[in-house]
Amino acid sequence: MVDGSSIGFWAGYAWPVILIVLKVLAIVVPLLLLVAYMTLAERKIMAAMQMRLGPNVVGPLGIWQAFADGLKMICKETIIPTGSNKVVFLAAPLITFVLATLGWAVVPFDAGLVLADINVGVLFLFAISSLGVYGIIMAGWASNSRYPFLGALRSAAQMVSYEVSMGFVIITVLLAVGSLNLSDIVESQRNIWFFIPLFPMFIIFFISTLAETNRHPFDLPEAESELVAGYQVEYSAMTFGLFFVGEYANMFLMSAFTTVLFLGGWLPPFDIEPFTWIPGYIWFFLKVAFLLFVFVWIRATLPRYRYDQLMRLGWKVFLPFSLLWVVITAGALIIFDWLPGA
Amino acid sequence: MIVQTIVFYIFAGVTIGAAVMVVAARNPVHSVLFLILAFFNSAGLFVLMGAEFVAMILIIVYVGAVAVLFLFVVMMLDINFVELRQGFLQYLPIGGVIGLILMIELIMLLGAETVAIPKTLLATVPIPPIEDRTNTAAIGDVLYTKYIYAFQAAGMVLFTAMVGAIVLTLRERSGVRKQRISNQVSRRRAESVELKKVEPRDGL
Amino acid sequence: MYSLPDLVPALPELWLAVAGMALLMVGVFSGNRSTHLLIWLSVVAIGSALILVLYVSPQSSNSITFSDMFIADRFAGFSKCLVLIGSALALVLSIGYLKTERIERFEYPVLLVLATLGMLMMVSANDLIALYLGLELQSLALYVLAAFRRESLRSTEAGLKYFVLGALSSGMLLYGCSLIYGFTGSTNFTAIASSIVASPTVGVGLIIGLVFVISGLAFKVSAVPFHMWTPDVYEGAPTPITAFFAIAPKIAALALFLRILVGPFLELAGDWQQVIIVISVASMLLGSLAAIWQTNIKRLMAYSSIGHMGYALIGLSAGTVEGVRGVLVYLVIYLAMNVGAFSVVLCMRRDGESVENIEDLSGLSQTNPMLALAMGVFMFSLAGVPPLAGFFAKFYVFMAAINSGLYVVAIIGVLASVIGAFYYVRIVKIMYFDEPRETFEKPIRRELSVTMAVAGVFSLFFFLYPGPIINQAQYAALSLFP
Repeated sequence: MVDGSSIGFWAGYAWPVILIVLKVLAIVVPLLLLVAYMTLAERKIMAAMQMRLGPNVVGPLGIWQAFADGLKMICKETIIPTGSNKVVFLAAPLITFVLATLGWAVVPFDAGLVLADINVGVLFLFAISSLGVYGIIMAGWASNSRYPFLGALRSAAQMVSYEVSMGFVIITVLLAVGSLNLSDIVESQRNIWFFIPLFPMFIIFFISTLAETNRHPFDLPEAESELVAGYQVEYSAMTFGLFFVGEYANMFLMSAFTTVLFLGGWLPPFDIEPFTWIPGYIWFFLKVAFLLFVFVWIRATLPRYRYDQLMRLGWKVFLPFSLLWVVITAGALIIFDWLPGA
Repeated sequence: MIVQTIVFYIFAGVTIGAAVMVVAARNPVHSVLFLILAFFNSAGLFVLMGAEFVAMILIIVYVGAVAVLFLFVVMMLDINFVELRQGFLQYLPIGGVIGLILMIELIMLLGAETVAIPKTLLATVPIPPIEDRTNTAAIGDVLYTKYIYAFQAAGMVLFTAMVGAIVLTLRERSGVRKQRISNQVSRRRAESVELKKVEPRDGL
Repeated sequence: MYSLPDLVPALPELWLAVAGMALLMVGVFSGNRSTHLLIWLSVVAIGSALILVLYVSPQSSNSITFSDMFIADRFAGFSKCLVLIGSALALVLSIGYLKTERIERFEYPVLLVLATLGMLMMVSANDLIALYLGLELQSLALYVLAAFRRESLRSTEAGLKYFVLGALSSGMLLYGCSLIYGFTGSTNFTAIASSIVASPTVGVGLIIGLVFVISGLAFKVSAVPFHMWTPDVYEGAPTPITAFFAIAPKIAALALFLRILVGPFLELAGDWQQVIIVISVASMLLGSLAAIWQTNIKRLMAYSSIGHMGYALIGLSAGTVEGVRGVLVYLVIYLAMNVGAFSVVLCMRRDGESVENIEDLSGLSQTNPMLALAMGVFMFSLAGVPPLAGFFAKFYVFMAAINSGLYVVAIIGVLASVIGAFYYVRIVKIMYFDEPRETFEKPIRRELSVTMAVAGVFSLFFFLYPGPIINQAQYAALSLFP
């Protein structure tokens, strides 16, 4: 490294880098822990809904179950099918995992508590979530096997279909905010959380996130009963583990996205005494946890969509409806002169 | 500044390398994946220039949507590119000549005397400093006002393309049973279920 | 706060855009049954656009709007009238064809309206961006129309060929535009002109950019050496679409040629004149020579149109008001002759199928004398035999060339017309002196006979009263020059 400028090497380059790495770790490590416990929570909640006990053997109430599962994944042998395209096959789970953690860079946990407060945070998150499909497509193709490939094709079509209406939902929120910065979006919800005035869009967005994360009732890419396990068929051990972690981290990310856009991010529900005692990041976490609970709840309740129904819902219901709402929202903002920062 | 320079050369180098691999890769799926890599790095270059909006849109539109469909098509079609390349050498001379001419032209352009462009003409819409106006807002300022005609015209072009794609590909297949939701929903119990009292050993 | 741009100059375009979308909605909700109705509605829409053009044109002699991207001067008005008439006639010609070929799909008139919209936008472009978008709108609709008979291998091939080569030419055009932008600092025609005037020397880059733009446009008017697609596409496309190809896009692209070369690049006339002369001479010669060996009437018309574009470009190469006026008059007459000739081609049907060979016309004078007479008039007119209209078309451009000192070009033009006359007259000979074949299907559809009659009367009696058209063309040409 050439040290040409007036600032020294350490002060100018090394410390900032170390600081950033520490910040990244401070986000990723808790995230992975949460993901581990999300799997346990999911099993427990589903068990409760189905009048079962759920995991209760490893540790008290089964709290070490998540670690036991993780350890098992790490210790098993990674099998790479002979006919597969090795580089792509191994890159696929990595991409899924990296993308699921990358998005957290712009998520504001509290006022000012954000790794990168960029101007186009919404677009960044949207871009990251739309890239998630690559991990699945690459996995399906590189496995060189029928079921994974079918899963990959389903997933590609599904994610592209739902992204369009998600884009329109984001546009309505942006119209009401007048900024693409996630912190600004949260701040502008001080008076009212957006899920109240934009309730239909909130519903569309949440359903689209279900489709985007390949969760029930849209988990067609991995549908056990038809495609065995879809794109994951050929994956074993930690390669499978990365997919698994990636999928759950993605759920967290999309829940956080929904929270920021519609549920007022770190803001307390009422801006009065007892609520404001609780720090913002706790509120944020509670909201994300609630959405995750809804994810699990839906999984335990609803049957899987048929593929043509899924496509029709995306293109023929959500797309025109969200387009209409963009027009209505824009019209309302102009008529009542509510446009932000005009 | 030195960090920016290094990062620029990394992005630029990877972009060019990936672009070469798009053409050179034997496997068409690999070509598309390299194309995506090239898109990513050009988005990085945009970010370095301070054009973050364009960078994000590049990723959302090209990588998130267009390239997915590319990949989709390439995987489904299973084209044998090696076979397609059979005639490649045959056309090399003429292609090479055209490439050479373009190359010479470009070099001439670089060497050409710079035209004195009147300052008033340069950048008909000056770019506001990034501290005053984010570039998303700056694009919004002109896109729907100064360039409304181009914007609407582009809309008409896309509209025509959509109509055209449907005209050329949509086929009405006969004998396909489609789900009709209104029929399903409007079904009443009386017209679909018939309760019959079946006496033992009688059958229907 | 930004105020709404002045929409009046663009009324015809706005109307056509809205009408196109509305027609599509009608079609989507009522299905292919409504095609017949939609065609007539589209004719009405185009007709109303024509009225709007006439309404807009006189009151604003030089109105620019949409932040200087759009211009509606008298030149634009004149060319738009031609384009709209051409499109409306092509629509009328297709009614019977769509029915008999069983391709009555409601998108057909909609695409035609959209293509027309693109042409209007091209004609009115006052900016490189506007130019490209108009051109692309027109081309996209045309690609689809060429492949409209998607069950037919030839039609699909025509569409694909047109698409691939069209995309290539668009690429060249864009490359040229980017060079022009880089060397003048603006995409706006007015600004480009003032920048060229202001700079003491002309950059090589600017010239290269201009040549690329000319190449892209030459492709659209199918001038040599960018003509390869023409015969195949004309042959493969459905016949009324071929008629449309031969008329409206040619008029629009040629108008664009005039607009861009005479407008911002008038200062560089010395540079582009050589290019245009080469293109024009090559087109005339190839159009005349290659047509001699054709056996298919649609291919023959393709070569004929290549040749005619060559003649029209002579007027442009003169680079004077007289030359531009000549081109505009040429386009009027070209429109009439082609509509007429193609309505005759559309009548060539036997046993429920279209026939396209020139041999099929043998002895037409005995089986259907009126049809033969009409075709004879159009062929003589296309050949440029006085006193038919086609003669005057050539007369004005050749005169313009001679007056600006381009004697050689004019002489080559006359020679090419003489060679070209051979194959036009050959058709007349086949019709009048060969053994008669089976008769064509009768009766001829009424709209075909009407267009044929109107075009025939125009071609025959143009010389009696050419004044109004020439005057209008003169005004239009004058408005183009600064």
